[in-house]
Amino acid sequence: MAQHEQEECSTRKIQYPLDSNSYKILDEIGVGVSAIVYKAICVPMDSTVVAIKAIDLDQSRTDLDNIRRETKTMSLLAHPNILNAHCSFTVDCRLWVVMPFMSCGSLQSIISSSFPDGLPESCIAVVLKETLNALSYLHSQGHLHRDIKAGNILMDSNGSVKLADFGVSASIYEPNTAHGWASLSSSSQLMLKDLAGTPYWMAPEVIHSHIGYSFKADIWSFGITALELAHGRPPLSHLPPSKSLLMKITKRFRFSDYEKTHKNDKNKKFSKAFKDMVACCLDQDPSKRPSAEKLLKHSFFKNCKGADYLVKNVLHGLPSVEERFRESKILRRNVSVDEAEDFESSSVRQRRISGWNFNEEGFELDPVFPMTPTESKDDSIVKQVRFGGETIISDKKSSDRSNNSGELYSGSPGRVAGEETQMVVHQETETRNRELTESENIEGGGGGGAIDNETVMEGLMTLRKSLDEQRQQVSNMIALLGGEVSREDQLLQIIERMRMELENEKRKNFELETEVEFLKLQISGAYNSGGTDS
Amino acid sequence: MKGLFKSKPRTPVDIVRQTRDLLIYANRTSDIRESKREEKMAELCKNIRELKSVLYGNSESEPVSEACAQLTAEFFRENTLRLLITCLPKLNLEARKDATQVVANLQRQQVHSKLIASDYLEANIDLLDVLIAGYENTDMALHYGAMLRECIRHQSVAKYVLESQHMKKFFYYIQLPNFDIAADAAATFKELLTRHKSTVADFLSKNYDWFFAEYNSKLLESSNYITRRQAVKLLGDILLDRSNSVVMTRYVSSRDNLRILMNLLRESSKSIQIEAFHVFKLFAANQNKPPDIVSILVANRSKLLRLFADFKPDKEDEQFEADKAQVVKEIAALEPRDRP
Repeated sequence: MAQHEQEECSTRKIQYPLDSNSYKILDEIGVGVSAIVYKAICVPMDSTVVAIKAIDLDQSRTDLDNIRRETKTMSLLAHPNILNAHCSFTVDCRLWVVMPFMSCGSLQSIISSSFPDGLPESCIAVVLKETLNALSYLHSQGHLHRDIKAGNILMDSNGSVKLADFGVSASIYEPNTAHGWASLSSSSQLMLKDLAGTPYWMAPEVIHSHIGYSFKADIWSFGITALELAHGRPPLSHLPPSKSLLMKITKRFRFSDYEKTHKNDKNKKFSKAFKDMVACCLDQDPSKRPSAEKLLKHSFFKNCKGADYLVKNVLHGLPSVEERFRESKILRRNVSVDEAEDFESSSVRQRRISGWNFNEEGFELDPVFPMTPTESKDDSIVKQVRFGGETIISDKKSSDRSNNSGELYSGSPGRVAGEETQMVVHQETETRNRELTESENIEGGGGGGAIDNETVMEGLMTLRKSLDEQRQQVSNMIALLGGEVSREDQLLQIIERMRMELENEKRKNFELETEVEFLKLQISGAYNSGGTDS
Repeated sequence: MKGLFKSKPRTPVDIVRQTRDLLIYANRTSDIRESKREEKMAELCKNIRELKSVLYGNSESEPVSEACAQLTAEFFRENTLRLLITCLPKLNLEARKDATQVVANLQRQQVHSKLIASDYLEANIDLLDVLIAGYENTDMALHYGAMLRECIRHQSVAKYVLESQHMKKFFYYIQLPNFDIAADAAATFKELLTRHKSTVADFLSKNYDWFFAEYNSKLLESSNYITRRQAVKLLGDILLDRSNSVVMTRYVSSRDNLRILMNLLRESSKSIQIEAFHVFKLFAANQNKPPDIVSILVANRSKLLRLFADFKPDKEDEQFEADKAQVVKEIAALEPRDRP
């Protein structure tokens, strides 16, 4: 058993101490609902600087199995473009995950601090290529990242780029997940059905999670990330996350649209290779998107510059992570939006959100996506699509309950969705109806309640009609068979029962509707109070 | 068409055989030139990856059940699993992960509708000792731990582990300071105590005394938050399982157990409180409460009722509310019994 001496050099990690006394916390660099990220030094290791993500396990909504999976994933991956954990251990009810300190923070943070209109294309290429290396490795290991975005791409002062945050990652080889093993006969067949990630970056098939999705969902998010780096924010981010979900589902979002409006507007010129690369990531059909490995061979990544180039062109003159965090903290005090969970990106995410709170008018002027003319159409979209609304809203609902203070986030429900969605996936149809009605409400499509009532009534009527039809058929059959009276009676009873169920449904619908009204009041109240803050 | 371009004449059986030869080679520690050795090790890693792609398929193809069956039959025909397990520390990280996945998959492969992995492990049960001891080795723990959890899917194997001396070590493993390893050990521990119902019930009734003594003192009264939380959750799962009803009845008749659970109810952690409630309710619902249990409940009645008054989980839970109402009713109705 004890013959593990020989290979130590190759595989053994340096063991960081597993007690909190060995670390000295220097500064807070990120904060979220159930986690705080610190900059710290590890005293016995020559005072190496580290980042410590302290997750409050008691508060954390994800269950321990998920956390176990995350830290295990992090400790078993070994790739220069993936942020590993040095070690993790518990300190009272907090889990400390000790990681290398990436001194320049996330790309999201860098962009919002120094490149509000996006990075130059040559820099984007470097960042994306490094990210793609990580993704290709991850996929070859059977892992999905499921939350690719600039906020999860970190940079160090030497220009190295690492993909971070495996909070929602999944493995196809992990047999103890809810997905079971039996259905996972092979990697290519793999389909996960959880809804996880952050809305703006989510692939259509992820939102549409009942059909399942696979590695190609990461490629979609990668494409969105490319746009985020190019424009300073993800497409559709001027819309609330739920709306962005819906637009994607209904294929209303097209890369070309986005490009067109932006080109006219901002006078930005991107190369054909770049546009082509992004376009193939954003194919609605997952099977048409290239794999990470294939994408690496795309002409956009040829003649890519190196880390030094990023140091010179991106990192030069950048404020430190701590400074940026403090700055965002001040901003945050003005806007009560606090829903980010992870690493350095958290601070920045709030900045972005608050940004659009402050500049709401400016965004209205921004003709990225004409909102008003589509408003009425969106109502109908909400009705058709349940899955998008479902998670967002139910999250919102549960969070509303937990913090009924004025903390209703006018812009941030997307983040909540990202954290919590896994729990909300398996909904029964009844609750689905409820979400349906509520989503209408959140969408702010005027007169939502009434319209919704109609939809549900319509559904019920159809149901009833089909019941009648079935009944007719059954009686026909009975007649054919010679008409057994007793059986017909039975059937009549069944029909009667079903009718009563129908009545019940109607009553429930009415109740839900009143609830919608109530929630609407609450939300509009919270929204207004949020607005006056700024 | 595809076959024309494939340059892979090797059958699954060939791959297994070559892997085995290379493993034998790798296990020889003596006098081989370093460069030669490296070359062989690289070849070994490649073979293990090929085994994996036969079993799991790859981006181009689905796994073929016939090929999987051939591979499995050949794998267990000789001692390949033992070689692989003992050789694992000599492999690099990627090969270790591949090997772990191969071993995991093989546990579920059927040959002539038989799980031959189970037969093999029964005949080589000492391999489990190696896997379990892996928890003491930081580098190997996660790999051996994952293999172990797959192996105990076989009832006979789980029975061996449950009845072995290793069971006692788990109380220590799940409190190791390294979170990854402790959590992995906890997952295995839970699997052992929940998967095979009849085996577990049998084990618990035979080993009741030492097991719950350890469970109470080492886990439920641990100073480590996460240990307490996982332990009280698992305890609930065990006791609420119908197959363990005899054990449950015994557990809820002990005043020491009740005292521990009441302390857990008082914890500041909501999660622990809620989980503790799910065990506590069994004490209250017991229709044949021993007098000392009754007197404890009566003595603490007002405190308990006050606690339950504003006691609810973050998420609305009808079942929980119903249980709580029942418990409150039971406690409120208790009469101090001076005589039996």
